[in-house]
Amino acid sequence: MGAVLSGLAGRRIAVCVGSGGVGKTTVAAAIGLSRALAGEKVLVCTIDPARRLANALGLAALGNVEARVPTHKLAEAGLEAKGELHAMMLDVKRTWDDLVARHAPDRQRLERILRNRIYQQLSGALAGSQEYMAMEKLYELSTERDYDLIVLDTPPTAHALDFLEAPDRIVDFLGNETARRLLSPALHAGKVGLKLFQLGGSYVAKTLGRFTGAEVLQDLAEFMSTFQGMYEGFKERAASVRQLLSEPQVGFVLVAAPNPLSVDEALFFHERLHAEAMPVAGLVMNRVTPDLWPAGTPLPSAGELGAALGGRGTAGLPERLARTLAEHQRAARADAAEAARLFGAAALPHAAVPRLESDVHDLTGLARLAACL
Amino acid sequence: MPGPSLLDRRLLIVTGKGGVGKSTISAALALLAARRGKRVLVCEVNAQERIAPLLGAPPTGSVIREARPGISTVVVNPHDSMREYGLMVLKFRTIYEAVFENRVVRYFLKVIPSLAELVMLGKILHEVRARDAGRPRWDLVILDAPATGHAVQLLRVPAALLDTVPAGPLRADAQWMQGLLVDPRATALSIVTLPEEMPVNEAIELDTQVRGVLGIARGALFVNAMPERRFEPAERELLLGLQGEPAPLGPAAWAAVLQSRRAEQAERYLGRARAALDLPTHVVPLLPAEEWGPAAVEDVAALLGEEI
Repeated sequence: MGAVLSGLAGRRIAVCVGSGGVGKTTVAAAIGLSRALAGEKVLVCTIDPARRLANALGLAALGNVEARVPTHKLAEAGLEAKGELHAMMLDVKRTWDDLVARHAPDRQRLERILRNRIYQQLSGALAGSQEYMAMEKLYELSTERDYDLIVLDTPPTAHALDFLEAPDRIVDFLGNETARRLLSPALHAGKVGLKLFQLGGSYVAKTLGRFTGAEVLQDLAEFMSTFQGMYEGFKERAASVRQLLSEPQVGFVLVAAPNPLSVDEALFFHERLHAEAMPVAGLVMNRVTPDLWPAGTPLPSAGELGAALGGRGTAGLPERLARTLAEHQRAARADAAEAARLFGAAALPHAAVPRLESDVHDLTGLARLAACL
Repeated sequence: MPGPSLLDRRLLIVTGKGGVGKSTISAALALLAARRGKRVLVCEVNAQERIAPLLGAPPTGSVIREARPGISTVVVNPHDSMREYGLMVLKFRTIYEAVFENRVVRYFLKVIPSLAELVMLGKILHEVRARDAGRPRWDLVILDAPATGHAVQLLRVPAALLDTVPAGPLRADAQWMQGLLVDPRATALSIVTLPEEMPVNEAIELDTQVRGVLGIARGALFVNAMPERRFEPAERELLLGLQGEPAPLGPAAWAAVLQSRRAEQAERYLGRARAALDLPTHVVPLLPAEEWGPAAVEDVAALLGEEI
């Protein structure tokens, strides 16, 4: 077992984080597969709107419910799983609805919220909502299900940090004292169809109304009012999620690509996780060009390669070979430097995953990737 | 009837999976348009700034600044866009400052769903239709959009608001924005991908969403970082047998086999993308890593210039 998988041994939750396009989904699936092969009951959960996890698992599609990767699929890939591999793709809207249903005091209140236009926007399309729901779902799965390991693949944010910050924004919103104060006259009126001047008739409210349209504020007032009494439940839940994420049973796996921007961001994110006392279990650098030529030795010329070929091959082959090896080694050196920069930042288990000969998009590929972790 | 050519649109949206080179393609298209005498603005959304450095200029942040003659860049963020939007609606700075710079209200505005996306998109689309002294401020605005999922979220905000928000300033803004986005003479969306499994799948799914959900005219497909086919099949056979040889031949054969496998695989994915996506396709070769930066952007632009 490689360093990163060893670092995750015994942990019940693995969270793969990193900026978009670095291969988080693939790494998450490989971690899950490896533990399932070893005999555990594993769930890999993604909320990636692009549905790439199903793809990596060799499945046609994934839904909002947990689905087991069939044993025959694993067998076709030459893998024998002693455990079980499950996967799911989170439906953000449904997770919101479930969460609200759990906190709503009665049926009537629940229906008012579900009908509210602000809520519909919030649960459907609002940026940051995905990140919050990912953590929420993780909490639910980890407390209510009996998986030995849950691997969470995080949303493809432009910045890895969005993942940590977005949930705070949403929870702050739900429990926002200041917004409540601003809307308090409307909240006390407690009925639908408020006129803007009933929003306190304040200068601030009126000006805001010019900005957004009065009815948007009314919707918002109604939303805040229907949510009243549920804030505490949400806040407590969010605190539990935060608490869970700093427990030793959790391991964050930071995934980066071998380029300077990606490494800068990973280092920044690592510092942040450290500051938040969230346990980082390992660092992965994905798609590293393998080093084929000893350091400090000059690369061969076309002439030397031609001599070694001794007349085999076609015209121009030695030149193309020399150029290809030189290009390859330049990439390998650059990648190695980035890997050293990332791994040097902290004494953590780490793995450089070589750029595999073929794309990783099936179970066989995932198993090979797992071997590098 | 075919639409106007890509660079003759007013707004070009560039998106695709994370890490496929959207910014490089955006920068190269900007270069190309500027060389044809167009005044270009490239917008990034709430991102780590890439475009200005790729054009060899210092970062510009949220202020529009000329990176090269004819090309200006800007990074659009929610806070500054909100301010500009607020000033536009309210006309008077003092009112804006009294109300919108108020800590409580600023907080409050953050939580109106999708308002951040709306004002950022609004800022960009405002630049598209802005006129100075009777003529358009920019001939072409390029939006280097976020990756697939977030780009769709951003671009669907006007339509979503039209579905949910009653009459008022927000709805009025959503209306003109949506009108501009779905006008095929004005706007086109191009997809960038790599010749690899997941980026191609994502491009295909994105295209479905563009047609079904967004309704924005489709521009072109850019297949980035295409490795060249450097070794013939017979040579590959030979090289496969030489991988175990001592240096220098073994390592050289190994590197060559890796290169040719990658190229062959890329051909397959390019073929799949072409078959699945009925779009004008531009293939950009894989450039050696050390050329990454302004030089690479020049190369890409030169190459695309022959096709676009």
